[in-house]
Amino acid sequence: MQDLVNIFVKSIFIDNMIFAYFLGMCSYLAVSKTVKTSAGLGIAVIFVLAITVPVDYLINKYLLSAGALTWISPQFADVDLTFLSFIMFIAIIASMVQLVEMVIEKFSSSLYNSLGIFLPLIAVNCAILGGSLFMQEREYESLAQATSFGLGSGVGWLLAIVGIAAIREKIRYSNVPAPLRGLGITFIITGLMGIAFMMFMGIKL
Amino acid sequence: MKSFRRYIDKIKPQFEKGGKFEKLHSSFNAFETFLFVPDTVTKSGSHIRDAMEMKRAMSVVVLATIPALLFGMWNVGFQHFLSIGQDAGLWTEFLFGFIQVLPIIVVSYVVGLGIEFAFAQFRGHEVNEGFLVTGMLIPLIVPPDTPLWMVAVATAFAVIIGKEVFGGTGMNILNPALTARAFLFFAYPQDMSGDKVWIADKADAFSGATPLGDALVGDPISASVSDMFFGFIPGSIGETSTLAILIGAAILLFTGIASWRIMLSVFVGGLLMGLIFNAWGMNGYMNVPAYTHLIMGGFAFGAVFMATDPVTATQTSRGKYIYGFLIGFLAVLVRVLNPAYPEGMMLAILFMNVFAPLIDHYIVQSNIKKRLKRLKTINIELK
Repeated sequence: MQDLVNIFVKSIFIDNMIFAYFLGMCSYLAVSKTVKTSAGLGIAVIFVLAITVPVDYLINKYLLSAGALTWISPQFADVDLTFLSFIMFIAIIASMVQLVEMVIEKFSSSLYNSLGIFLPLIAVNCAILGGSLFMQEREYESLAQATSFGLGSGVGWLLAIVGIAAIREKIRYSNVPAPLRGLGITFIITGLMGIAFMMFMGIKL
Repeated sequence: MKSFRRYIDKIKPQFEKGGKFEKLHSSFNAFETFLFVPDTVTKSGSHIRDAMEMKRAMSVVVLATIPALLFGMWNVGFQHFLSIGQDAGLWTEFLFGFIQVLPIIVVSYVVGLGIEFAFAQFRGHEVNEGFLVTGMLIPLIVPPDTPLWMVAVATAFAVIIGKEVFGGTGMNILNPALTARAFLFFAYPQDMSGDKVWIADKADAFSGATPLGDALVGDPISASVSDMFFGFIPGSIGETSTLAILIGAAILLFTGIASWRIMLSVFVGGLLMGLIFNAWGMNGYMNVPAYTHLIMGGFAFGAVFMATDPVTATQTSRGKYIYGFLIGFLAVLVRVLNPAYPEGMMLAILFMNVFAPLIDHYIVQSNIKKRLKRLKTINIELK
C-alpha cells in the first residue's frame, strides 16, 4: 500500500509531467487562459491517463515485452515485440479516448458537455503517451502501481495547468511588454513555476 | 533646501513635453518625487485619501529591515573574528561587517535601480518604488561571502525576468528578492551552500556549519536555543537574529503594511509540521524540537519579510491563512525530508507565490456561489 502512495505523490510533485519533463506543453499553453476550462481539460487528462496507463500496462505485460507471449505457448519465449510499443500505445490511447467519449456521451451528458472538445484533443497530448512510455521504462510491478502512476501524473498535470491559468487570469491587465504578450510571457511563467517546483527535487520516497 | 527646490523648478521645463530632455522625463520625475513631496493631484474620479502611499509604505518596510541589517553587519564581523579566534570588540566587529556588507547593498541597488530606470525610460512609464525594498532584501538573504558579480547577475535576473517582463512593480508573480536568491542557489550551488560560505574570510580550521547544516547531516545542533534566537550563529546576512526580525515585524504590523494573518499562519504551519515530525520521529532530524525550526535558518525572515509581500501573496483574507499555513508547512517539510536542500523557506514561499492566484480564484468563486445561494433563498422567502 505504501508503495502506491509513494508513486502517487512522486508523480504529482517530484516527477511532475509539466515541470520535470515538460510533456503535454501544447495543450498546457493553449488551453490555460481561464481556470474553468483548464480545470476541465485537467480532469479529462486525469481520466484518460488513469485508464490508458493500466491498459497499456496489460498490453505491455502480456503482448509486447520480451517473452510476454509465453502464456499462449512456450515456443514464443524469445519473441520480443517492444519495437511495436509506440504504435500499439498510440492506437490504444486513441481508441480508449474514443471509447471513453462514447461511454460518457451515453451515460452522462452533463460531463460530456463540460469536457467537450477536450476529450478528443488529448488523444494527441504527449503527456498521455509519455505516461505509458514512462510506465514501460520504469517497469512498474503491478497493475495497481501503474494505475497509481497514471492517476498521479494526471493530478500533477491538472495542478500545473490550473496554477498557470490562475496566474494568467491575474496578469491579464498587467502591462506586459508588447512582444512578450500571450505565449512569450506564458513560457516565462512556466520557467518560473519550474523553479518553484524544484523544491521537491531530491526528496526520496 | 529652498535654493535646491528653485533649481529643480528652473530645470523642470526642460524635462517636460517639448523640452530639451523630454526623453529623460521619467528619470527626472523619479528623482524629484524621491526628494520632494509631489504637488500634482489627480483630476477626476473619486479617491480615498490616505497618508500611506506606495513610497511611504516601501520606506517603512526598508526601515523595518534596519534592525536585522545592523545586527547582520555586526554578526558578520563577530563570526569572522570568532573563526580566527580573536575577540575584537563591538566596534571593530561591526566595522568589519559594515565593510563586508555595504558593497553588496550598493551593487544590489545600483544594478537594480539602473535596470528599473532603463525600463522606465524605454517604456515611458514612471520609475516605481518597488525596488527600494527588493534592493534591501537581496543583500539580507545572501551569504556574507557572496562575490559581488553574482549579486549583480542575480539582481539583474530577478528584476528583468522576475518583474519587468510582467510590467514592473505590482505585477510580478514571484517575489523578486527570492527570485534572485533562487537564481543564485541553482546557478552557483557551490557558493551558496556548504560550510564555507556563511562566515566572511573564515579560518579553515573553524567549523562554519549553520544549525540547519548540522541538522541536515544528522549532527546535534551545536548552537544553543538562545544563540539561535538572538542570532549569534552563522547564516545569511539578515536572517540570523530572530529578535531583530521580530522588531521589524512589530514595525510592519503596527503600521499595518504586512498582513498579520500571513505571519501568524506561517508560524503556525511550521510549528505544526515540526510537531508532526516530532510525533513521527523516524530519524534525528525529525526529533529536533518543533520550535527550533522557527528560529533557525531563514524561517522567521521569510515569514516576516518575504511571505507578507502584498503583491505576490494571496489577496483574500481566507486565502491568506491557507497561503501562510502551507508556506510554513512546506518549508519544514522540505528541510526535513529533502536531503538536497538544507533550507526550505525560500522555495516554499516561491511555490506558494505560484499558487496564490489559484487560491484566490477559488475563494472568490466560492464567495460568489455562497452569495448567489443566499440571494436565491431570500428570493424564495419573498415569494
